[in-house]
Amino acid sequence: MSDDRSLPPEAQDPDDLLAAEYVVGLLDGAAWRAARDRALVDAAFAMRVQAWEARLSPLNAEYPEATPPDLLGRIEARLFAQRKTRFGWGWGFALGSVLAVAMLLAFAVLTPQAPRVPGLQAELVDESGALVLQISYDRSAARLSVATTGPAPGTDQDYELWVIDDSGVPRSLGLLVGDATEIIADLEPGQTLAVSLEPAGGSPEPVPTGPVLAAAALTEA
Amino acid sequence: MQDEISEALLGVARKDRAALRQLYALAAPKLTGLLMRMLKEKTEVEDALQDVFIRVWDRAPAFDPAKGTGLNWLCAVARNHALDRMRSQRSRRQAQSVPVEDALNLAAPGQGPEAQLMLRTEMEQVLRCFGELPTDRAEAVKGAYLMGLSYQDLAERHEVPLNTMRTWLRRALIALKECLDR
Repeated sequence: MSDDRSLPPEAQDPDDLLAAEYVVGLLDGAAWRAARDRALVDAAFAMRVQAWEARLSPLNAEYPEATPPDLLGRIEARLFAQRKTRFGWGWGFALGSVLAVAMLLAFAVLTPQAPRVPGLQAELVDESGALVLQISYDRSAARLSVATTGPAPGTDQDYELWVIDDSGVPRSLGLLVGDATEIIADLEPGQTLAVSLEPAGGSPEPVPTGPVLAAAALTEA
Repeated sequence: MQDEISEALLGVARKDRAALRQLYALAAPKLTGLLMRMLKEKTEVEDALQDVFIRVWDRAPAFDPAKGTGLNWLCAVARNHALDRMRSQRSRRQAQSVPVEDALNLAAPGQGPEAQLMLRTEMEQVLRCFGELPTDRAEAVKGAYLMGLSYQDLAERHEVPLNTMRTWLRRALIALKECLDR
């Protein structure tokens, strides 16, 4: 296939190349996080990621062994003393999240900020192309506006919107009501938004339980 | 026949606490070595090692021994977590000072003779495929994988423009895939 060499490399199979760049670790900051979030919600992409992990796994032999710190006690304490829910998103996690948020806030207060530019957007389209969510986010007002077109959920179902941030754990932003929903939320470019189909009233768990219908990253408008 | 680490991991998937202790004894040395190479700082490595085992406890049910060894599954979780930490920092850390060459040519970890043999065969194939690439590009891809260097880090380190580095490595990855899947 020497002819292919005249093509720009990204023209061949952009998703597979992205999976490779993600696994190798070549992507920076927001691009890496966007790929990680995509692997959580896009099964085809996740399979490409797994294939690359398998291809390159022999390189793991080059990592040396080192004397590990004795952290088993702390790990067990975190796992078994504080966690209460079956899914492990228990108090330890909640406390960690609160601390992380507090630290981020402290960081935000103490760090001179670049002026916040209003305007992020995302378009979520399901596989059939029928369900379309036009999403815009006003950063100065922290207001997310979702315009939904397409089939309504069943009578005992709701569409639920999620954000997947640096923690890798989906966080519910709320249910989509009718064809226009406004949600107040603190969001950043590069985070992934996803919509899932849930029982009426929303997922009974802190994570989606129904099928994830569509996902896309928030980008600058 | 499963290796010991895969056995322990399957136990962890069943929420067996003794299996978790066993897994720590078996795999913590390797994961510590991996995290040290990627994160460098001791406290960062210790925090990450705890987080990795918490993730492993949660995600072990996703481990499928038909798709690879337990150790490689653990390495993938640990690498991903280390990259997560490195890529989530607000300011990119300074380009790390360990030369790429030093990261390579390390002794394989202690494992049974069969595992060693399989590992050697796989390793030989990967090395052969890396050997088909221009040396500097092979080193760049390995350095990125082993230490978590980004395009930007590599461009600085090899003193080439970012776009050049990106084009080089994308071609290298495509050639690598072709060779490994052959």
